[in-house]
Amino acid sequence: MSAAAAIAPPAPVSEARRSGLALVVLLIAPIALINALGFLVPVLNLARMSFYEVEPTGAMREVYTLATWLTVFKDTFYAELILNSITVSLGITLLTLVCSYPIALYLHRSSGTWRTILLVLVISPLLTSAVVRTYGWIAILSDSGLVNNALSAIGIAPLRLMFNKTGVVIGLTEILMPYMILALLAGFGRLDPRIEEAASTLGAPPFTIFRRIILPLTLPGIALGCLLCFVLAVSSFITPKLLGGGRVFLLATEIYDQAIVTLNWPLAATLSILVLVIFGGALVLYTRALRAIM
Amino acid sequence: MTDRITAPAAGQAGEGFLSLKGLTKSYGGFAAVDNLDLEVPKGELVAFLGPSGCGKTTSLRMIAGLVPATSGRIVVGGQDLTEVPTHRRDMGLVFQSYALFPHMSVARNVAFGLEMRKVGKDEIAQRVKEAIALVHLSGKEEHRPSQLSGGQQQRVALARALVVRPSILLLDEPLSNLDAKLRDEMRNEIRDIQKRLGITAIFVTHDQVEALTMCDKVVVMNQGRLEQVGTPVDLYETPKTAFVAGFVGRSNRLKATARDGVAEFAGESFAAQAGLSGPVEIMVRPHRVVLSAAGADATAGDHRVSGIVARTIFAGDILQYDVDVAGQIVSVELATRGGETVLQPGAAVTLSWRRQDVFVYGTAA
Ligand SMILES: Nc1ncnc2c1ncn2[C@@H]1O[C@H](COP(=O)(O)OP(=O)(O)OP(=O)(O)O)[C@@H](O)[C@H]1O
Ligand SMILES: [Mg+2]
Repeated sequence: MSAAAAIAPPAPVSEARRSGLALVVLLIAPIALINALGFLVPVLNLARMSFYEVEPTGAMREVYTLATWLTVFKDTFYAELILNSITVSLGITLLTLVCSYPIALYLHRSSGTWRTILLVLVISPLLTSAVVRTYGWIAILSDSGLVNNALSAIGIAPLRLMFNKTGVVIGLTEILMPYMILALLAGFGRLDPRIEEAASTLGAPPFTIFRRIILPLTLPGIALGCLLCFVLAVSSFITPKLLGGGRVFLLATEIYDQAIVTLNWPLAATLSILVLVIFGGALVLYTRALRAIM
Repeated sequence: MTDRITAPAAGQAGEGFLSLKGLTKSYGGFAAVDNLDLEVPKGELVAFLGPSGCGKTTSLRMIAGLVPATSGRIVVGGQDLTEVPTHRRDMGLVFQSYALFPHMSVARNVAFGLEMRKVGKDEIAQRVKEAIALVHLSGKEEHRPSQLSGGQQQRVALARALVVRPSILLLDEPLSNLDAKLRDEMRNEIRDIQKRLGITAIFVTHDQVEALTMCDKVVVMNQGRLEQVGTPVDLYETPKTAFVAGFVGRSNRLKATARDGVAEFAGESFAAQAGLSGPVEIMVRPHRVVLSAAGADATAGDHRVSGIVARTIFAGDILQYDVDVAGQIVSVELATRGGETVLQPGAAVTLSWRRQDVFVYGTAA
């Protein structure tokens, strides 16, 4: 390639730029096509479906109406549902961050075989399905589970750890931690022990180094991890369904119920579009945050 | 912050302001720094000179408290700092790799140490401005380190360490990335500031010219061990070991054998250490050798050997002859004055030099 470049006379700038652009288009085309067919078309379909009419029997007719959207906007149940979903997901994201950050930092600083072992340990939960892991949590959190058995053994009244928000938060936090840790690690690239040493020679005690050096340098990782976990939390439904026992109302579980149980597809479609809007909002916030950080 | 050493007590007689006592750092079985003893008087600029990997950076890191010493003590102003954490040692360290804070502007980088010392806002602004001007970076205050060239980053690192006026300044090759002119300027700046503020400083370099021209004392290190400490003149004129003689300035190293304190080379006898026997190296600096045509009456010099010119190198200000003497090459440097006849290879010559210009060191067999 370099030989050809050396022989060929230098191309005019505009031509070079045009061929560069062609290459970019060519390289992006396959993924753009797959995304268009596999994502954009179904989403547009979903959007159209949200305007279909539903008969009281539940049957869907291909007649356009705003009825579903109006119900969603008027009925406070849905407003609460959305708000609840967002706050619970934010809470889970925050808790996941707090639990994952020290692990990620430790992992980032370890090296050699020890680091490999730790990394495998972090990733290994991802090799098991969320269903299995959720059942694991049921065994731990249920009324006759590990925790409550231990509590009753030492004479403490049992705690309600399942079929409520607590259970959902605990379960999802654990399930999302590997994602958070990996995202944090990916964003820790700017950390450098020499920089921390420089701060300490300038008189910064350990906590100040954390606050003024480590934390700011890891913000990109934090932002990425939070975006990822928030999106995953909002869209997860197996864990909330099993650990929430139908008593925790979240967008994802409601969409599942409407689509599979009630068979109100336009409503499920409407709520799905709303989830997409929330994701869009999260992405906007993420880019804003990233721009502010860098 | 009261536990910071701000007003260093005067060192006791015979002791330096900074004393290293048997400082050692081992990695596994390997001694990166081996039993380093050093006294640095207050206000002196001391060079650590040595080849790559000889333990210069490791020594500085121990002094700064960034790596724990395997054994030995670090005492500053009479206070044992061996166990004191880095952030309470009041030392400035300019890192070989700069280690600037990438998320802060140049000004914030320089201000950091002052903020840690709880200096007032106005004074910080003032001192930061001065420090940045000092390293010729005015106008770059709001740049991020990533927007600066390597040399500019190095100067920010320098300003950041200087601005806090530490009691001890540790400089790890702080000028390695600057061009010759800027390097000269920065050398003078460092020297000036260090003298003016009476800072005790250690300057790591593997550039012997820098060490000799800038520093009050030079510490020559080799393989983790201290070879010799002395003033530049001491080191140059009376190197204690073959390594120092070879490392500081240029030397001819001639292999010979000694018997009972006398080394023989090309029919000449050279005084070695009393009683020394076995293989030795005879060292003499190229420009201390006097060259004259064979047969001519060579006046100067206590030692005289004859040889044949093997190579002539004319470098403008210097004329170098490589002379074959008894199968070994002796380089001779002459300052050109113009008009001298340049000898061609094959010419027979006599070399002579004074007794005080020659050093004989035993070499381990
Ligand atoms: N963390 C470490 N683990 C093991 N060996 C180390 C470590 N740090 C340094 N060393 C070894 O200690 C020796 C001294 O290293 P040091 O960095 O002090 O050299 P230096 O004199 O600063 O060299 P240079 O001029 O190249 O910077 C080297 O042989 C190096 O390999
Ligand atoms: Mg070094």
